Amino acid sequence: MCDYQKCKHWGGNQDYTSTRNKRKTHLCCDMAEVEDTLKRIQGYNGVIGSIVVNAEGIPIRTTLDNSTTVQYVGLLHQLTMKARSTIRDIDPQNDLTFLRIRSKKHEIMVAPDKEFLMIVIQSPTE
Amino acid sequence: MFTDETLDLIGAESTWRKSHQQTQESRSCQTLPVHTAEAETQAKDVLENSTQTQDQISQTLSLDRDISDFPGLVEFLRRVEDVVIRELVKNSKSHAFDGFEVNWEDQNDSVSCMYRLQHVDAQERGLQVTSVSWNCTGSVIACGFGRMDDGDWSNEKASVCTWNLDRQNLNPMRPDVIIDVPTPIMCLCFHPVRPSVFAGGLYSGEVLVWDSSRSQDLILAQTGMSADTHREPVYQVNWVPGARRGEFVVLSAGSGGRVLLWTIDGAEAKLTLSSGYAFVPQQMPQCGAASKPRGSTTIGVTSVALSPWDLDTFLVGSEGGLVLKCSFSSGTVAAVPPDGESVTLRNPMQFSFSPRGGPIHSVHFSPFHRNLFVSVGTDGLAHLHSVLQPHPLLSIRVSDSYVFWVRWSPTRPLVFAAVTGQGLVQMFDLGRRSLRPTSTIDQNTGGQPAYCLEFNPKHTNLMAVGNADGSVNIWQLSAELTEQGAKETAVLEQLANEVTD
Repeated sequence: MCDYQKCKHWGGNQDYTSTRNKRKTHLCCDMAEVEDTLKRIQGYNGVIGSIVVNAEGIPIRTTLDNSTTVQYVGLLHQLTMKARSTIRDIDPQNDLTFLRIRSKKHEIMVAPDKEFLMIVIQSPTE
Repeated sequence: MFTDETLDLIGAESTWRKSHQQTQESRSCQTLPVHTAEAETQAKDVLENSTQTQDQISQTLSLDRDISDFPGLVEFLRRVEDVVIRELVKNSKSHAFDGFEVNWEDQNDSVSCMYRLQHVDAQERGLQVTSVSWNCTGSVIACGFGRMDDGDWSNEKASVCTWNLDRQNLNPMRPDVIIDVPTPIMCLCFHPVRPSVFAGGLYSGEVLVWDSSRSQDLILAQTGMSADTHREPVYQVNWVPGARRGEFVVLSAGSGGRVLLWTIDGAEAKLTLSSGYAFVPQQMPQCGAASKPRGSTTIGVTSVALSPWDLDTFLVGSEGGLVLKCSFSSGTVAAVPPDGESVTLRNPMQFSFSPRGGPIHSVHFSPFHRNLFVSVGTDGLAHLHSVLQPHPLLSIRVSDSYVFWVRWSPTRPLVFAAVTGQGLVQMFDLGRRSLRPTSTIDQNTGGQPAYCLEFNPKHTNLMAVGNADGSVNIWQLSAELTEQGAKETAVLEQLANEVTD
């Protein structure tokens, strides 16, 4: 994790992102971290694709082609909202943490959040 | 003694006739005058409005936007990464769903014949069904009548019939549309986008395009007999994407060794030649096992397959048993003497596969793998080829007689069906260990051959088979033959990779 003043990028481009607890991290380190995380997830056994979506339903990063991404995002966003409201209707103190959909050909995993959504598609290795 | 005498007239008056007349009365009536009035109106303000649909533009993704536009992305990923990785690892090791199958629909266990379509007129004349085609919506089937076993030039009138299977009052003995053609029709193909347009190739070498939605003259365009047309029977017609998006041109292949592309000129109802390819034995590419055919002046084309993956490639099967890989964009000129054609004919041959014993009746590219195709001919074998090598990957014995047509299943990557000269449809599943057919469907034609087979593109469990006795059987296939299993694409990939260097 970037430590801003002690980071190796200090002295060059000082663009930073400030985190919620007001810690500053270099923008380039953040970008590298995002790419690393996605590459790690994509590298797991059987993962076909991964998509990161923002709260408005616009894909930010994806490893699939454009038309497939748009299709997945549109459909899964609605489904995640419906799943979340189902859980909360049953018990208002409860909330959705993870959604997994298993189909004949693969398994779709959705990790929801307030601002973002991560979708990973894995095919079972039997 | 006797004298002439004239007597006075004696009359008797009628009593009742007069009294009738006395009771006569006259009456009349009249309607009141009708009131009419005239008035005029005129619109003073005119407003025009119009709408138009457009092809959907793909949404732009914000992939090139900076991470700085999304504050909190890094934290989100940090939070979520562990959870996701844990689930991924669990899932890849899990055996929870092994063998778990869900039945969403009623499983159809048997193959049944839904309809047996016949055209009485053609059957009386002993015509055979030479080709069938489904339209793009899967509701109309067209079949062409002609002869496959006639060696001589024939001028026998034939017909094309269509049935709409989705109609309530479907009469299998009476087609919805009957089109008369002057010579036997050898091949049919429906337009891939417009549901009422179809093209057909005749024994005389002409190519016609019909539009069954017209009320009067159904012929949309025809080649006529000009210097450009085929001189020999046209064995295959197909629709190929044209230069502009959404436009299609007609490809026709005939045994005169020509593959021609025609554009439709709607105004003049003519098909104009846009480009053409000629097959000359001297220009055939030498590839390993293939040897030049001796003594033939042309390579007669009997079947064409278009690749659904690569728009430039097409395969051609010939009368002499050759299977050739060709390209639409090849630039070399064919070494044929110019015969008055309007375009220069080009030589499209790029690669030649190992030759077979007899004419190749049908070639079909696999819709699930870009390199695989299957070809059948009169030697009774089905060869599974990869585009990358001349020798076949697999050679399967279909029947002891000729095999006339082969098609891959549109839903199961490993299944293909072939029709034989004994009137049977053999379906093969490459996922099974044995090379015997998984199912054999008898056409009930009394041993007469079946000539053509097509799967319905929309209702994928329907299959149409055209027979030599002039009937078309529509079969509904069982769920086993149409539902895709879990690993079929992977097995197909494995098969395709068995290419030896």
